[in-house]
Amino acid sequence: MNEYSSVNKQLDWRRAKVIVAGVDSGAVSSKAVILLDGQPYAFSQVRTRTPKESAFSAINAALAKTHLGLQDIHYIVATGCGRAQVPFTHKTISEIACSAAGAVHIWGPTVRTVLDAGGQSCKVIHCTEKGRVTAFLWNDKCAEGIGRSMEVFADLAKKEVTEIGNIALQSDQFPKISDFCVVYARSEALDLIRSKVPLEQVIAAYHYAMAKRISTLVARLGVKKDFVIIGGLAKNPGIIDWLESILLVSSLAPKPEWDPTLTVTLGAALFADAFYRRQQYNISAPNTAGKP
Amino acid sequence: MSKEKILAGLDAGHVNTKVIIMRGQEILGYCTVPTGFDVVAAAQTALNDASDNVGISHGELGGIVATGIFRDMTKVPPLNVTSTVPEYVADAKGALFLNKNSRTVIDIGGNIQKAIRYDQNGNLLDVNQNDKCADGLGIFYTTIAKAIGLSEQEMSELALKSTNNLFIAIQCAVSAESEAIDLMCQGRDIADVADAILRFIVERVADMCTSMSLTKEIVVAGGLAKSQALIKHLSSLMKQDVSALDIPEYVGAIGAVISYEGGK
Repeated sequence: MNEYSSVNKQLDWRRAKVIVAGVDSGAVSSKAVILLDGQPYAFSQVRTRTPKESAFSAINAALAKTHLGLQDIHYIVATGCGRAQVPFTHKTISEIACSAAGAVHIWGPTVRTVLDAGGQSCKVIHCTEKGRVTAFLWNDKCAEGIGRSMEVFADLAKKEVTEIGNIALQSDQFPKISDFCVVYARSEALDLIRSKVPLEQVIAAYHYAMAKRISTLVARLGVKKDFVIIGGLAKNPGIIDWLESILLVSSLAPKPEWDPTLTVTLGAALFADAFYRRQQYNISAPNTAGKP
Repeated sequence: MSKEKILAGLDAGHVNTKVIIMRGQEILGYCTVPTGFDVVAAAQTALNDASDNVGISHGELGGIVATGIFRDMTKVPPLNVTSTVPEYVADAKGALFLNKNSRTVIDIGGNIQKAIRYDQNGNLLDVNQNDKCADGLGIFYTTIAKAIGLSEQEMSELALKSTNNLFIAIQCAVSAESEAIDLMCQGRDIADVADAILRFIVERVADMCTSMSLTKEIVVAGGLAKSQALIKHLSSLMKQDVSALDIPEYVGAIGAVISYEGGK
């Protein structure tokens, strides 16, 4: 995972009426997105240390190039597994709701199934054309940490986590390894090396096992079209390819302007936008309070 | 063992490849490189770097003895490996070399941990290895340290400062990882989480040791032995005195050198 931040220089926050932010405190990385009147303005991603500390570094990284201060942001929504530890929020919302809202915003109202494959957990979510969640399924404990295990595996293979996905696609034929437990899978992958299986095949075998593991989760809830994949694993072509061929369904291609890792964070920022507008509306028209 | 010859011990492990260079009883130098997925290349790099550290050329090595899980893969022409020795034998001999009074060594490696009991000459008496569910404790330690943003050294130091007993009370490293992350997300103190992680590792190791009798003195080998917190918890959980060896990660490599030509 790379730490980065960027700013859309075409927008000027001084002219913006509504400045909101979403913060996603994930198990592996913490992310922030700032919106100006609903338009994406600044983004950042940093590695999580403690949830509190990393939420600050994520929002500060996003603010750094903007001359904005934390106090200039009207409304902040936190999500992710560490959301309760983020000190500067107005509200917290589960990452399930944020995933659906973010995915529908990026890919449009045809999205019905979202697979959020992150560093620590995988979730499958069904949603309406407005991004409201209708059903979801969380991975069981044995399938935790698949995203992170990719980094560990890449380290063992002395490759970058960004390149192993492409290497995995180079082999059609490879031995099968356990697709139930990540610990077993890693141990068996190491055993394959000992039996002199070429590196590309071992990497392919590991990716296939992980894709198989995720596919059982997706299959349990079922896929309704359109299908999108978000989270860190969405950037791994090996996983995506195998997942699609095991499930016999294709996913919408990622949008070039959006990093799929930031989908959930965008969802949080969209909620912040909606909540702030509702708050302002209620202040200006108190008679209709509570009826958006 | 030949007194004059300079010998190299090569320990090709799951995660790291270790090389030690010795003359007689004297340790001249050592070197560790990540194994990666190319065992031969890693072995070659480790041998060259260790030779450079000592200031000798590769040709001056009187012999190379290989051990570790990948030892058979190192028996290829460019490496000139003289002989190989199983890692249990090497661990016992290496531990005895580093501590003359030791009779049991607990070796916590990257992917496998084992307990080995031996006599005063370093002959094996009993061996026990982890079950598959406890594979990868060493890798787990590295991963989880990275996940909570600490170095392995920092994690061990912080664990000693812990004041609350948090528990990660499960068998599986995958679940342990997510429990540790959950604790972090609940905003628990990082020292307490580090301590819980170390106690989880120690419990897995102690579990492995319950089915064999351990003879004093008990020593710990492998990179994890450098963690004082781990040694402290292991002693208290097993209710026995346990001490770490010096240069614990090189125990296998040292044992390989000592096993040269059958240890003569």
